[in-house]
Amino acid sequence: MSDNDSTQTTGVLGRLNPITMPLRYKLGLVGLVLLGALPMFIDSTMALTFAGAYFFGVYAMSWDVVSGYTGQISFGHGLFFGVGGYTSALLNLGHGFDPLLSIPVGVVMAALAGIIIGVPALRLKGPYLSLVTLVAPLILVQIFIYRSDIFNGEQGLSGVDPLFGLNTFGDEAMFYYVAFGLFVFVLAVLWIVTRTDAGPVFTAIREDEDAVEAVGLSPAKFKIMAFVLSAAIGGLAGAMIVHTPNGNASPTTLLSITVNVEVIIAAILGGMGTIVGAAIGGVALILLRDQLSAVDLVVPLFDTPISDMDFLVFTLITFVLLFALPGGIIRWATGIGGWLTQRVRGEDPEIAADGGTKTPPEQVYENYTEELREILGGDDDDEH
Amino acid sequence: MVDILQFVILSTIRSGLYALIAIGFTLIFGVGGVLNLAHGASIILGAYAAYYASAAGLGVAGSMLAALVVPAVFGSLLYLFVIRRFEHEPIMVMILTLVTSVAVEQLVIELAGTQAKRVPQFLSGNMTIGGTSVQYNLIAVFALSWAIIIGLFLFINYTKPGKGILATSMSAKGASLVGIKSDRINLATWAIAGALAGIAGMALGSQLGATYHMGRNPLVLSFSIVVIGGIGSIRGSVVGAYLIGFLEVGVIQFVSSDLTGIAPLVVLILVLLVKPEGLFGRELAE
Repeated sequence: MSDNDSTQTTGVLGRLNPITMPLRYKLGLVGLVLLGALPMFIDSTMALTFAGAYFFGVYAMSWDVVSGYTGQISFGHGLFFGVGGYTSALLNLGHGFDPLLSIPVGVVMAALAGIIIGVPALRLKGPYLSLVTLVAPLILVQIFIYRSDIFNGEQGLSGVDPLFGLNTFGDEAMFYYVAFGLFVFVLAVLWIVTRTDAGPVFTAIREDEDAVEAVGLSPAKFKIMAFVLSAAIGGLAGAMIVHTPNGNASPTTLLSITVNVEVIIAAILGGMGTIVGAAIGGVALILLRDQLSAVDLVVPLFDTPISDMDFLVFTLITFVLLFALPGGIIRWATGIGGWLTQRVRGEDPEIAADGGTKTPPEQVYENYTEELREILGGDDDDEH
Repeated sequence: MVDILQFVILSTIRSGLYALIAIGFTLIFGVGGVLNLAHGASIILGAYAAYYASAAGLGVAGSMLAALVVPAVFGSLLYLFVIRRFEHEPIMVMILTLVTSVAVEQLVIELAGTQAKRVPQFLSGNMTIGGTSVQYNLIAVFALSWAIIIGLFLFINYTKPGKGILATSMSAKGASLVGIKSDRINLATWAIAGALAGIAGMALGSQLGATYHMGRNPLVLSFSIVVIGGIGSIRGSVVGAYLIGFLEVGVIQFVSSDLTGIAPLVVLILVLLVKPEGLFGRELAE
């Protein structure tokens, strides 16, 4: 999926017409419909696994909208999930707020956290921004541990009310639809945002900030906007997941380094700067992890089954995937798909018209390297 | 009074260790321009290598050798097979090294379990300084860290390969123009950084035992130290390590042990917001 085709004259509504859609969109719609019917065919455990996967897909999309699009790489998106989740859980436990009330408050708090991280991000470049975002959730966890009387330290808060008064046991299919509904909603919102006016500006900030400024748009405003949007969506997912059996308000579910890294891995593997890629990457990553924990194959050297060391195997697999497909699976698949359809239609498979431009990850890496050079001082051509 | 003296002694010794860890981290950043988030893994590998070596009956000297060699080899392999391919993609390097460190932690859990392991002490016994009892082991750790720091300083400034490292971190282009092979310099940096972190890991393990998560806190502390001292500056790292070491031990001793790790992080954020170039800026760059 290329984000370069977003400037078509037909507009968003025109592109939502299923008949005129490109093949890949049709496939996507069919996929969503199939997923909507899925609870009829799977058992309750599997339904919850899928629900967890959808939540993770939302996490990955929220990362993608700020990091994939504007190129401001965040290494600690768990901060926003955590602020949303803990706010909602605390309001529910301490003040008896209904989840339907406490979740929006969590979203607002997460959006505020987005401003708090977004404003310094305007000044900090490259590795410095990475360090701040890497460290921010760690500080939050330390605060939670220090004030264990409120936040219950590393165990986190449990016993919050489930959404809509659903039962943890018996209503698994409903929780599936709650998560699926959130997933589709966020996918639609972010798809529209990134395919209309704001999207190209976000992309332009990633490509060349000076150019954005030169046409009279404020990169700072759009960066903050991306951060707030991303934080609010991350906060929404975090606030909702604590009211489902998929998680509770604890550092492990929302804030741990593992969560922060997996979100990035999911988005990169799916395809950075595409939203759809991040969504698929997030869902696929959790499903893969779940599948691994059921594999009984014994690893020769360790003499233990894979199911007992699933997380190690999982990290090794992601390592290899990152190594082999740094551009993302979606981009790789659409590349192959485009080539195939052209072949089928008898056209000459040629390099796409935008073959000369860089993929989002390439552009982000390049900017990052430039910022690094500014910090390191050396290596510039205009060195004095 | 005894409190203060104990605080000073403990901080002085702890800070030397932090300096060892931070120097490796800053060297890699200065020379290769990448943040090595697998630096904590080298600490873990050093501690466990020492544990296994002593379990195999190799004695303290053998343990030290293992704690130096295993992480150095790990660092070299990581550079040769992973980092070199993503040399111009610092974000991928951060992610891949982070995944590597998670994998190493998991591997340690599989092999050695989650219980702390005893790592041999450099020296046994203890002595009394001004009413405070101090283990010989801690004094040995202190002496060793300073011996290594001074040795490294001399190596960088007065030997040919050392000057190569210095030159590459000043300007990779300039260094390659005068015939310095940046590949080899990078490899050497990764190996040195691994060895320093490894011996620091053994020293940490000899005080607190080796655990699978022992690398995390020092890694995060190195961020603070390196940012305070100025990224890429060895002198800055040593000064930063002492600031952070005293701060950390002071907060634990005089405020609350629940605040472990939070003060350095807050300092890190403040420094980044107020003076992002650090106290010493880039002493190497003109």
